[in-house]
Amino acid sequence: MQTPAHAGVFLFSPAMIYSLLVMSAPASGQGAMTAARFARAALARGHSVNRVFFLDAGVANGAAAAVYPQDEEDRLRPWVELAEQHGVELILCIASALKYGMLDEAEARRYEKPAATAHPAFTISGLGQLVDAAAAADRLVTFGG
Amino acid sequence: MTLHTLNASPGSAAFTDCLRMIAAGDVLLLLGDGVYAALAGTGARAQLDACGARLCVLREDATAAGVLERVAGTELIDIDGFVALSEQFPRQLAWY
Amino acid sequence: MAARKRLLLLIRHSPYGSSLARASLDVALAAAAFDQPLSLLFTGDGVLQLLPGQDSEALGVRNPGRLLASLPLYDIEQVYVDAEAAARYQLDLGAAPVTALALERQQIRELIESHEHLLGF
Repeated sequence: MQTPAHAGVFLFSPAMIYSLLVMSAPASGQGAMTAARFARAALARGHSVNRVFFLDAGVANGAAAAVYPQDEEDRLRPWVELAEQHGVELILCIASALKYGMLDEAEARRYEKPAATAHPAFTISGLGQLVDAAAAADRLVTFGG
Repeated sequence: MTLHTLNASPGSAAFTDCLRMIAAGDVLLLLGDGVYAALAGTGARAQLDACGARLCVLREDATAAGVLERVAGTELIDIDGFVALSEQFPRQLAWY
Repeated sequence: MAARKRLLLLIRHSPYGSSLARASLDVALAAAAFDQPLSLLFTGDGVLQLLPGQDSEALGVRNPGRLLASLPLYDIEQVYVDAEAAARYQLDLGAAPVTALALERQQIRELIESHEHLLGF
């Protein structure tokens, strides 16, 4: 199939596997929301997203109790929809998650913290999940800032 | 052939470091504060024009910044176009 | 693990001023532990991670310099450094905590083009 040189012209591409790495905090800049939109657009173009891995400040995107202003886009919902409607795996890096207070039920019990703070659409796991996803991916796309 | 994405203003270390690494045959997509590097007539824009890479700007971020009318000569693309770029370019490097 | 894709980490941040230095090294160690082919390139302020004699004990934080010194245990025998960035900070690469090969701009481009996946920190 021909692949024209310039974006904006119809482009056929074989279905690819994408892994996304999100470094961007949810409430600072647009990086995280651009990542969520990218994931949706990649799925719409027929690709699969094998994992979205959140690292460093990016883990805050998983905050279950985040409340966003009524007149702005909700920054949690796009991720929850990707997980619940499209089966996209959302992983919060455990080392970063702990530092940012992102805990699931098990970690909250283990560290005797008052509550689980990560939304259940997200799983807390190790960097091996990023390495594994990238090894299987045709494209690895990072979002920061 | 690398897709570089810059999400930092032209005053940033990310801009400087990115310019050092980018080459003809690459594409640079300006996101977030990166769109300001495309402002016509600025020194930053001159540096981008000289680096030999294809220049793209994420439309929604340029619209937010109010610079749509001032980035002529770059390709305005939407999120779908961003994915299309990633299909064409096997490597992506984020600068932020 | 699936087919081996070569991963290049491009590291631009100093060791203690942000969390990105630690994040990048954690990724490097994870990739190495899972036996994925990996290269590290230090550029911009990232070259400051190669300063010898880092002593973070009083700060009570981990020491990226010491982490770098342990890379050979993970079969990462050397890292790459942007020669111009090292020169800007007057770094003595011979004293770096891990073997550091200085690369000129064209060599850096070739390094980038020889890896399937890139991660910028």
